[in-house]
Amino acid sequence: MAEAQSDKTPSLAEDYLLEKEKQDVATKPVEVKEVESAVTASSVEGATDKVEETPAAAAVEESKEDAPAPAPEESTEASSASPEDSTSDTAPAAAEESSETTEEENSGDQEASEETPEIKLETAPADFRFPTTNQTRHCFTRYIEYHRCVAAKGEGAPECDKFAKYYRALCPSDWIEKWNEQRENGTFPGPL
Amino acid sequence: MIVRLLEWLFLTIAPCDAAEPWQLGFQDAATPMMQGIIDLHHDIFFFLILILVFVLRILVRALWHFHYKKNPIPQRIVHGTTIEILWTIFPSIILMFIAIPSFALLYSMDEVVVDPAITIKAIGHQWYWTYEYSDYNSSDEQSLIFDSYMIPEDDLELGQLRLLEVDNRVVVPAKTHLRIIVTSADVLHSWAVPSLGVKCDAVPGRLNQISISVQREGVYYGQCSEICGTNHAFIVVEAVPRKDYGSRVSNQLIPQTGGA
Repeated sequence: MAEAQSDKTPSLAEDYLLEKEKQDVATKPVEVKEVESAVTASSVEGATDKVEETPAAAAVEESKEDAPAPAPEESTEASSASPEDSTSDTAPAAAEESSETTEEENSGDQEASEETPEIKLETAPADFRFPTTNQTRHCFTRYIEYHRCVAAKGEGAPECDKFAKYYRALCPSDWIEKWNEQRENGTFPGPL
Repeated sequence: MIVRLLEWLFLTIAPCDAAEPWQLGFQDAATPMMQGIIDLHHDIFFFLILILVFVLRILVRALWHFHYKKNPIPQRIVHGTTIEILWTIFPSIILMFIAIPSFALLYSMDEVVVDPAITIKAIGHQWYWTYEYSDYNSSDEQSLIFDSYMIPEDDLELGQLRLLEVDNRVVVPAKTHLRIIVTSADVLHSWAVPSLGVKCDAVPGRLNQISISVQREGVYYGQCSEICGTNHAFIVVEAVPRKDYGSRVSNQLIPQTGGA
């Protein structure tokens, strides 16, 4: 990746170019923009989903999904025999976690979108479960939340997209890679 | 001429955002945090100089008046309640005047006031930084990741700063709330940029967060601030806040995602 990167980033000489000269460098990416708009479109979809959920509706939805949460989760996992089911997924742990997700989804709603240039400046919001400098658990929790969400609602559920976005924003890619591997081998240490 | 005079008076004229030989003062502040640090420094210096002058006066006076030739038998005061009370109360009031703004600044510095707009991960290595922009990727693999190495002395072009220039600068938007997540892949490092008032230890297995908002565009230089091995001196932070951050990042990101 480093080599692929090196010809894309401007050299120092390019950096010091005058604005006028930079213009023709900048015109290049126009034809690539379609790809990018597709990317942002998907993220916008995720955002509008979020907006549509009023707190009340979210609460209703939560109560629906929370009450029977442990049972269907395990049944789907058992039936599909997906690679994730090998972890020690006990019912009490699941119940304990589900309360966390309610709190979580509510905090996700109040996400302010800033100015929108070509790309959307948006990232994981500040989470008041993790108010300190140490954000290690923040990243880990978001990762678990995403995979629990996928386990509950199925692969590619739009509700889970924001968790994916959050954990990707917070966790170093090496960690994600390692955890993905561990999940495949069934050695992931967290409650999934 | 005036410049020479000023240079002679103050030993140096600090450039904007990089260290200068024999520099005594701070680099110009680019974040409210650094402004706060400089203000606190000046506040404390007020008391510091007050105390310095007062103590020196007492010292010189004592030496002068109780010189062994002039006054061989000094006065034998054993106890004075008034003076005892005074020199207990007065310093504690001074300490309070120092402590209150100091704590206020300390706690406001690691407070996250608003949701950040972007997250940048800075990962320390022996001996370079890796930066990750992962806000825009739609899978686990598509992050914008690059390494940032110092330019060795032999490769410097005219006008570049020795031990401060890197090949890939980290680009951030100006006047935006940033979250920088600092961690390390091997030993302890420390991600520090003086002008931004930022110094954050990079600890393997731990993610440290700092939130900053750069107030003006420019190039900001910093160095690793934790002894991390033989090439410790050659691990450099260089940050470039810009208005056209969005277009720059998408220019770098799109060819990658398109190729993947």
